[in-house]
Amino acid sequence: MLNLLLSQYRKTTILFLVLILIAILEAFEVRTSIHGNTLPYFEWLKNSSWLGIIGTTYGSVYATVEAVHLISMAIIGGTVLVADLRLLGIILTDIPSETITRGTHKVFRNALIFAVASGIFCAAGVADKVYYMPVFWIKMLALIAGSCFVFLVKQPLLNTVPHDEIRPWTLRLLAVCSLLVWFTVAATGRWIGFS
Amino acid sequence: MNNEKKWSDQEIAAIGSSVVIVGSLVLYWVLQFESTIELLELAYGSVHLFNNPLVF
Repeated sequence: MLNLLLSQYRKTTILFLVLILIAILEAFEVRTSIHGNTLPYFEWLKNSSWLGIIGTTYGSVYATVEAVHLISMAIIGGTVLVADLRLLGIILTDIPSETITRGTHKVFRNALIFAVASGIFCAAGVADKVYYMPVFWIKMLALIAGSCFVFLVKQPLLNTVPHDEIRPWTLRLLAVCSLLVWFTVAATGRWIGFS
Repeated sequence: MNNEKKWSDQEIAAIGSSVVIVGSLVLYWVLQFESTIELLELAYGSVHLFNNPLVF
């Protein structure tokens, strides 16, 4: 039975097991205990790591990296909007959606690498502040969920199956989910800036 | 599009993960909206458009 599930519905079974694991971890408050234990790491990141020291000492360096972070986020937003609005059939309907999703994904992937790298530097400069912000953790959860969704679920499906063989509502659901998750990452990011 | 074709593993996983993520995020933003309304009601007694509790 398990072999049949793993052979025919491998991804679905793994997704189900991951959701069960998350529910168990939440029930035993594992996330809460991990959160409490990460404070010394955040304090070290701000006060002792070279990232934190450069970020707090040289304002110009921090501003430059912050600009790279914002530009990367803008590119992510642009690629997400183009790909997902095309999947919803709103824009660029004269171009095959396969072409658009493949093309934008390469740019998205590179922009995400830049955004994460510059984001670590930016967070290091204010690590002792962001640690106490619930919205920072929401952003991290949304970022992890969004990245896993794009690289493990959405793109493998869109790259391997012709889009006219996928049910239209599945494509729309994928697009809405992607838009919502990256909107949340961007909105919570700005929320951190205004907190 | 063939509506009678079998559901593929990738498609079920895509729908399942999308529903979970969209559900969680919608719940989060609805709760944020509710707490903002409660904050405004606490500050003003009622909610009006453009009433900013930071402006006295």
